Amino acid sequence: MDFLPQITPLFLTLILCGTVIGIIFGAIPGMTATMAVAVCLPLTYSLGLENGLALLLSLYVGGISGGLVPAILLNIPGTPASIATTFDGYPMTQRGEGESALKIGIYASLFGGLFSLAVLYLFAPALADFAIQFSYVEKFLIIFLALTVMAALSSSMLIGIFSGVLGILVSLIGAYDVSDGGNGEYRLMFDFMEPYLSSGFSLLPVLIGVFGLSSILIEAAAGVPESTSAAKVALGQGKKFRLSIFRGEWINLFRSASIGTFVGLLPGVGGSAASIMSYSQAKTFSKNPKTFGRGNPAGVIASEASNNGLTGGALIPLLSLGIPGDATTAILIGAFTLQGLQVGPLFIGGNPEIWKSMIVAMLIANVCMFAVMYFAIRHIARIVMVPKYILLPVILMMCVVGAYTTNYGIMFDVWTLLIFGLFGYLAHLIRLEIAPFIIGFILGPSAEIYFVKSLESFGTFTIFFTKSWIAMVLWILIAISIGLSIWMSTSAARHRDET
Amino acid sequence: MNMASFPKVSIDFASSHLVFPMLVSVLLGLLLVAILVTRWRTIWGAFTTGPYWPAGIDHRRFFGTIVLTVLYFLAMPQIGDFFPNEGYGFLIASIPFLFLISLLYLHQRTRRQIVIAAINAVLAPTVVWYLLSTAFSLTLP
Repeated sequence: MDFLPQITPLFLTLILCGTVIGIIFGAIPGMTATMAVAVCLPLTYSLGLENGLALLLSLYVGGISGGLVPAILLNIPGTPASIATTFDGYPMTQRGEGESALKIGIYASLFGGLFSLAVLYLFAPALADFAIQFSYVEKFLIIFLALTVMAALSSSMLIGIFSGVLGILVSLIGAYDVSDGGNGEYRLMFDFMEPYLSSGFSLLPVLIGVFGLSSILIEAAAGVPESTSAAKVALGQGKKFRLSIFRGEWINLFRSASIGTFVGLLPGVGGSAASIMSYSQAKTFSKNPKTFGRGNPAGVIASEASNNGLTGGALIPLLSLGIPGDATTAILIGAFTLQGLQVGPLFIGGNPEIWKSMIVAMLIANVCMFAVMYFAIRHIARIVMVPKYILLPVILMMCVVGAYTTNYGIMFDVWTLLIFGLFGYLAHLIRLEIAPFIIGFILGPSAEIYFVKSLESFGTFTIFFTKSWIAMVLWILIAISIGLSIWMSTSAARHRDET
Repeated sequence: MNMASFPKVSIDFASSHLVFPMLVSVLLGLLLVAILVTRWRTIWGAFTTGPYWPAGIDHRRFFGTIVLTVLYFLAMPQIGDFFPNEGYGFLIASIPFLFLISLLYLHQRTRRQIVIAAINAVLAPTVVWYLLSTAFSLTLP
């Protein structure tokens, strides 16, 4: 009960506001939970870490959950994580069961969120305790494993690895930091850039550019499609929602939440993968697979339990290893950095109050999400009608504020926002993988330190194979992830040839 | 980095800042070659037949966004220099920027929609400026 003093009125208000804003971002197609967290990050500067994290985590929970609204009502996933919700949610709406489908999704979201939170609470400290034994060698291999897993699960492994390595290279621009044991010399830049890039590109302007500004550019290039009219958003008067719908769906709920949590653990693998994997598993194990895609509530349950399962899962590698599980948790690293804290194996043990306040914030955010969405569903459904000519300029302005305040007022950070906004748009055009790029960018400096220090200490490349049994296990996992990727791509190519 | 007796290696501290970037650059180059080799037909096809610019782009809104954003970024510090540490550069530059970009994104410019865009352009930056610079004591341009 030592966490009770942290639950102040401000703490609760921030969670409520964060959840509502997150739901709004999630419910508007084109806006994502990642964007909500990135845009609201500057608000956390003066809030303190516990309150700031409460706001950001509730934005995350709300953002992931809000995506089900347009997925069910308009057949447009509000966030990529709601992609499979459209498969059965929209057919239910067409049958006049929109409200029922939304409530099924809300219940499943709550279950997924709470399930993954329990896993986070139980599993992250154990993983962190284990990771304390890691030397530079194992830490480097963990990052290497994270990058290979992320690349292996990209739509193309080669492009995924390329994007991740490009992210690492961009992160190395600037001085080799003396505080990390470097020699302070500059690299990968011209002399005239030294006043701006001595510490490299700041993380937050890069993140806000890639996830915020680039989304606005993508919308602008698409002509900023008009928002949906009220006539299209009909909840229907068909079959009413009853909790008995969940009878016989417990296995589906547990399986989907587990898949979501597991996918969240894997770095850079988005919610869309969790959603589709859970959906296909639900279909495979169903007694009536033919009813999937025609408005089977089990499809909505599978998708929504899994994408909310992602929220707790993605925090596990972040808090125990310092490796973000997805793009949104990558931005949370920025919040920790701003407050002068480093996430990694020592974080949970060294900051028990912050750890507990995060768990409490996630718990309250899930309950808030449920209450807000369940009881205000008819109002929430209208969120999809907010006109984009109002919304997008405000978001753009908030992106600027976020970038500018990162380092307490440096205009170069605002230009960084533009540079990486354009890069994000270009990456979208040529189909570079953004998630591996960002994870590479975040982990690049650490990877350098661990790699160079390992070689300086041991003087041989073989140390990466012979340091310990953990190193051997990590190499086996790296080999499995690469092998799995090759197997998946060849079987996909064979499937394409056959059809 | 001396690799004469591979796998043994010795790193010279003075040039240690180049070890990892060099390795990463080589890896990136190899990956680029691998992409070119495995996808040369697609890439060559795109180079020879185009399209060199993706079709279906709303040029007015896309380039309009970029131009207005660049002007906004240029104007903020210039205006801010007249009122140091007040955040007025942000406030004064944001109002016309929000209004113009809202007009750019509007499909039908009815009087009602223009009024809503104007109110939003004044209210949103003012609220953000007040909240951040006064309530949260954050630095704005």
